[in-house]
Amino acid sequence: MEASTTTTGEATSNKVLVRANEIEKTYGSSFPFTRSVTVLTDADLEIRTGEIVGIVGANGSGKSTLMNILVGVLEQDSGTVERTGTVGWCPQEPLLYDRLTVGETFRLFGSGYGMTAEEIDEAKHRLASKLDFEQYLDYRIDQLSGGNRQKINLSIALMHNPDVLMLDEPYTGFDWETYLTFWDLAEELAADGTAVTMISHLIEEQSRLDRIYEVRDGQVYDVTDQEAETDATASERGEATDE
Amino acid sequence: MNRVRTGIRSNVSTFLRTPLDVVLALLLPVVVIEGWGQAMAGLPTMPTVEAIPIDLGRLLGAIFGIAIIAGLMGLTQMISARTADRRLVQTGYPPRTLLATRLATLGGVTVVVAAVNYGVLWLTISPEAPVLTFVFLVLAGLVYAFLGALVGALLPRLFEGSLVVVFLAMMDAFLSGDSPLAADIPEFVEYFPLYHPKELLQEAMFQGTYTTGNLGFVAGYLLVLLVLVTVVFGMTMRTSGGWSA
Repeated sequence: MEASTTTTGEATSNKVLVRANEIEKTYGSSFPFTRSVTVLTDADLEIRTGEIVGIVGANGSGKSTLMNILVGVLEQDSGTVERTGTVGWCPQEPLLYDRLTVGETFRLFGSGYGMTAEEIDEAKHRLASKLDFEQYLDYRIDQLSGGNRQKINLSIALMHNPDVLMLDEPYTGFDWETYLTFWDLAEELAADGTAVTMISHLIEEQSRLDRIYEVRDGQVYDVTDQEAETDATASERGEATDE
Repeated sequence: MNRVRTGIRSNVSTFLRTPLDVVLALLLPVVVIEGWGQAMAGLPTMPTVEAIPIDLGRLLGAIFGIAIIAGLMGLTQMISARTADRRLVQTGYPPRTLLATRLATLGGVTVVVAAVNYGVLWLTISPEAPVLTFVFLVLAGLVYAFLGALVGALLPRLFEGSLVVVFLAMMDAFLSGDSPLAADIPEFVEYFPLYHPKELLQEAMFQGTYTTGNLGFVAGYLLVLLVLVTVVFGMTMRTSGGWSA
């Protein structure tokens, strides 16, 4: 089977921005006596404007593999991915240049996005103010704490105001205040029409998500309604106990 | 924002903020040139071994020194930021532009290292053709810088890649250098990366001339390495993400 990727036109409101069909992915090796691991088989998924989508699943279920395929940094073995608009990708581990300062990091990645010097400067100050890292703009990445490094990792994904945000556990290392700020930001972006997709492990976050996909046994299940029922049942039980 | 200028500035900043690289680039030539020269000149005379002049030893030290430093720089340029490079390419930064900034930075570092090497040679030997000597040192460095970059693109592991570059440079400098210890050298040594740069350097230093054939061979070598490293780097940075901007 052949893998294919399609790019469609400009992003408009209320439409599917990412559509994955029958995605398959197996990690193999050409060396003898090595094991190949099938991660995704026949995985389907849609991401629409203005939604906050959660991708959940057990460790090793293939969530990051799926996200990397959706972003386009990993090629699927078969199936199709249709992508519309621009993407901001925040990988699980901060993929940054250790010896560059925060300001230099913004300039380099901003040049990748095709932004002007003024746009980069504006984005840098806006995000530094929002996520509270203004005092670290002249620090080198390898001189930052894990939490601050993660703020830069997230900011690089956000700096060009993308149509689709792909976030792989973006709040790792955040303190509580920053965690709440992150959710405010995600909700603001979704309200403005950005499709926010994130890999999540935290049960309490699921009430914040518009749609939940679970990666299980190589396939992707839309479990939004199930989670809502579970929440409602738990809520009812809680009320009954209270009574 | 200009991608090439931003990329080169980032690469140079990264290099200058790696103190060990800077120290190695500036100090190693002195140690290698004088050490190699003294070692070659100090060989005991035996039936099958004859010591070579100290100046030839210094020349071989210079060519080995620049090869090993440029090779290791090429290697680390490709490996140290590989995962971040993939993210940068995902943002829309073209892989070829990224590679061009890396090679341009490598070229600049090679010129600086060649200048240090040249300074040591100038103090100890006084080359017959100073400009040619410097140019051929740069060429020898570029060959190994590109070779190191190729090894880094093919074998993205610092330890294993360093071993490959170091052993290759040692063997290359030893066999290409008319060493009295390497008897009956096979003809294929002429295809080794340092063989022709060493011939050019030797002619420029001691006779003040050069042979066009040697120069053509080095240019061809550089071109082939450039094509190979471009192809391999492009493959490693390939993304399947077609996003409409």
